Amino acid sequence: MREEFPYATAPNLLTHLGTDEYPASQSKLSWKDRVLRLGEVPSTSNWPGVPASLAIVGLITITGFWIETIIRGSNFAILYMLAVIFSALRWGRRAAVLSAVSGALSFTFFFVPPYRSFAVTDSWYLITLIGLLTVGLVISMLTVAAREDARLARRREAYTAALYSFTNSLTSGNKLDQLLDAVARHFAEIFRRPIVVVLPDADRLTVRFRSAEMVFNDCENEIVSWVFQNGQEAGCGTATFPDSRIRYRPLKTAQVIVGVIGFQTKSSKELLSPDQRELLGIFMNQTALAITRADLAQKAQRAEVLQEADKLQTALLNSVSHNLRTPLASVLGVLNTILEDGAHLDLPTQQNLLSTAQEEARRLDWLVQNLLDMTRLEGGAIRVKAELCDVHDVIGSALHQLGEAVHSHSISVTIASDLPLVPMDDVLIVQVLVNILDNAIKYSPEAAPIEIDARVNAGQLEIRVLDRGKGIPKQELERVFDKFFRVAIPGAPKGAGLGLSICKGLVEAHKGRIIARRRTQGGTELAFFLPMEAKSE
Amino acid sequence: MSDPGSRILIVDDEAGIRRFLHASLESRGYSIHEASTGEEALQVVPAFRPDLILLDLGLPGMGGKQVTSSLREWTQTPIIILSVQGDESEKIAALDAGADDYLTKPFGAGELLARIRAALRRVGQQEGGPVFVTGELTVDLVGRSVRLGGKDVQLTPTEYSLLKAFVVHANKLLTHRQLVREVWGGAHYEDTQHLLRVNISNLRRKLEADPTRPHYIITEPGVGYRLRTESRVSAAPSNV
Repeated sequence: MREEFPYATAPNLLTHLGTDEYPASQSKLSWKDRVLRLGEVPSTSNWPGVPASLAIVGLITITGFWIETIIRGSNFAILYMLAVIFSALRWGRRAAVLSAVSGALSFTFFFVPPYRSFAVTDSWYLITLIGLLTVGLVISMLTVAAREDARLARRREAYTAALYSFTNSLTSGNKLDQLLDAVARHFAEIFRRPIVVVLPDADRLTVRFRSAEMVFNDCENEIVSWVFQNGQEAGCGTATFPDSRIRYRPLKTAQVIVGVIGFQTKSSKELLSPDQRELLGIFMNQTALAITRADLAQKAQRAEVLQEADKLQTALLNSVSHNLRTPLASVLGVLNTILEDGAHLDLPTQQNLLSTAQEEARRLDWLVQNLLDMTRLEGGAIRVKAELCDVHDVIGSALHQLGEAVHSHSISVTIASDLPLVPMDDVLIVQVLVNILDNAIKYSPEAAPIEIDARVNAGQLEIRVLDRGKGIPKQELERVFDKFFRVAIPGAPKGAGLGLSICKGLVEAHKGRIIARRRTQGGTELAFFLPMEAKSE
Repeated sequence: MSDPGSRILIVDDEAGIRRFLHASLESRGYSIHEASTGEEALQVVPAFRPDLILLDLGLPGMGGKQVTSSLREWTQTPIIILSVQGDESEKIAALDAGADDYLTKPFGAGELLARIRAALRRVGQQEGGPVFVTGELTVDLVGRSVRLGGKDVQLTPTEYSLLKAFVVHANKLLTHRQLVREVWGGAHYEDTQHLLRVNISNLRRKLEADPTRPHYIITEPGVGYRLRTESRVSAAPSNV
């Protein structure tokens, strides 16, 4: 990946790349620090070890005067060679060359006759000198190669560690949001820049992630679209939109551009080193792949959800059409019979038929009403008009609405004497009670007792309806409030399974809750709780 | 005054409903006239001079509430609103505008006839005496005394004026707003509404044997209250 960064404005980076130094303790650094160091400028001078290597050569020379009687001539030159090797290993090429040259000069000047002169008369000494210089240069070259190898190895290690951590975080979740979070965190930690990630979302480019400190205004959108369409970089430091403070790069896979990522730069000095740029390139590729993968996963999941919803809808439609058609069929049947064969039927038979039709028509009305209520609840069309209400009145109205039905059972009402007025929409709560009582009546044998109990419990109004009916199997207690759910009891009365789910919706619209419990002696307890204070909406 | 022979105007845009109402009411001896729009109804009323109007709430063009307001400018003929569940606020607005009662579709003929009889009876009763009697309850509007089963009942002044409103409009559905206006003057409907509920509750405690199954003061949830009278007791001397 070629960058068009102005190299000349960052000479220190270039120098550093050839000679970067790590302290001995570098193995203790985390991979993140090491990656960061790829971009750092070393604080040591450009001539490391120069005074020290000169000092070593000087020391050897002084030692030479002292041991001249023991070792002399060419043999003594070996000591200088040791100094060259030491300097090369310790400080690098420049120190090595310097010690080779200064060693050669010192040797010639002090220990080669004629002494105190750079003149060399003996050809043997000439060979020694050339050898000293050659060894110095060769060793320094080898050292540099070894050091370069080590640097590359360290860099590879840092890269691998960074990439490992990055790809790990990318694969940890398939959700796009998690993914973007991980990407942003890594980019911010490694490159120390605020970033912005823009992804296409239903024909539009939307900012999916933005660092808090990122300055991203509407003008930038134009650059982002350009980058997305052209698949080329733009913004700060490029020829396109150079005025922006943000440098944009396209996120691309082999086939498509999946998004745009932008880095904010504080100043032109804060540019990425070539190493960092290379790493950035790899990160971007990985990110593009991960985004594509997340996108595909999301699409697959959406398809699955749609399929499920489709199935559910079909089931609901079947249930509704069955429940609507059955009573309609009886009504039509009765009417046809009377219109066509009325003359042949005696009056009691006609009456009998007609009351069947009436009963079925009522059922149809009840069902249509429930369906309408359900639709209005789900569409948010039901508004709770909470006013302070007398619980006696609400329970009384519910019993009144049930009319004849309540006479088949013995219904007792207990209301705590200290019960204050409670804020509620009485029309809706009456309906809740009617639905619950209707179930209690339908599902319990004739003349079985039904109790209604109202009191304050833990700061809430608690109204309970207790019956001695067939009861709800334990595993279905939760589900009785589900739409179209019906408890599977053989010979149970007909219904659409909407009553209790409407109750739940209405109670929850009051910020209350409703529960179903089994009674220990048999039967069901339905309780709902309403807040005692009116909550302003 | 007897029910049969009374003239009833049916205002509904649905031909099926008109036919059903026409048939069931005519068979009971009422004379019927039909109108399919509000505008038509307003034209017909001066000529037909109905004793009672059955008015559909969801008319095309001029709605039931507007028709009610227009009629109430010059006539007190009882109006019974026919509504479907869902247009509660329209219904309350029509009642506030002066309609006497409402029925929610679908309704049975029995319920309809009962409402019609009650509304017609109310008209005949308006010249009734100062002592009102229904069931065990006796209210003497001149002596300002209330008796239940022969025993005096002590009411606060507010409770008494509330009961008086019910007695004056016996059997009529009174909306919350109408009751507040009658008892408190209605200046601050929103503030006085809970006072209404408290007083209804207290009144019931004093008059009803079982406040959850009231015998006299019946709640129409979300709409208002009515004082129910027993037909045999409220029978005027002229009734058969």
